[in-house]
Amino acid sequence: MAQLPNYLRSNRKRLALSQDEVAFLLGTQSGAKVCRYERFTREPGLETALAFEVIFQRSASELFGGLYQKVEQEVMVRAQALAERTDRQKPNRQTAHKRQILTNIANKVLN
Amino acid sequence: MNQINPKHFRILAIAPSTRGFGFAVLEGQEMLVDWGVKTVKGDKNAQSLKKVEEMIAHYQPGVLVLEDASAKNSRRSPRIRKLSQQIIKMAVTRKVSVKLFSRDQVMKTFFADGQGTKHALAEIIAKRFPEELGSRLPPKRKAWMSEDSRMNIFDAVALVLILRLKDLHRAN
Repeated sequence: MAQLPNYLRSNRKRLALSQDEVAFLLGTQSGAKVCRYERFTREPGLETALAFEVIFQRSASELFGGLYQKVEQEVMVRAQALAERTDRQKPNRQTAHKRQILTNIANKVLN
Repeated sequence: MNQINPKHFRILAIAPSTRGFGFAVLEGQEMLVDWGVKTVKGDKNAQSLKKVEEMIAHYQPGVLVLEDASAKNSRRSPRIRKLSQQIIKMAVTRKVSVKLFSRDQVMKTFFADGQGTKHALAEIIAKRFPEELGSRLPPKRKAWMSEDSRMNIFDAVALVLILRLKDLHRAN
């Protein structure tokens, strides 16, 4: 069940803010940029994403649900690859610990 | 645990009106993703259809819900009936399944005796989504006033809620 790339529009509407008002809070000139974020044609930078978190009082992973899902999947695949690479290293306590952490990431187990 | 049909994860409801249409997008159990009114000018059906198509492309819903304009007791105008048919046809070509609910089904879902006014229904929905829709509830209209266009939002939300309630009922 794929989420939408972001939920900025629903959160803005929930607070009854206009795109221009959100743009003002973000410190940008016009609501056009906010419109592009809401229409998924542009992805905000880290500073803007954090500003959205402050404005809407929701975590960035919640606000950018679809984007978070995509990044999460990619990291999980890479963690699996790195865990397999770690297996080939000389076994000791440190590599065993690293292996466990990478397996947890790959299997989406919270540390 | 309440399991939602994966195809019904995101639902788009359209409530056509004389000036355009009201819409609502529901995701998961009860998260309103978008809601509002779109007004059109000129060829109302062609413009409405274009806007609905844009919304389907943007939200990629699994299901599109409409009021059944061809139901036995439906009092929708010939233009709205034609628009409903056009929307259904377009949704099918875009591989979006369509669910239709008659006005009677809507009323029976929200009122025990199936009797209620549009405003009473809007009040129930506004209470269910106070943050999102509380401020959008228009004042109760007098007999000489025309209907507020915002009422179409509540009609659309009622339609998405019926499908979701049916899903949850089936799962339990």
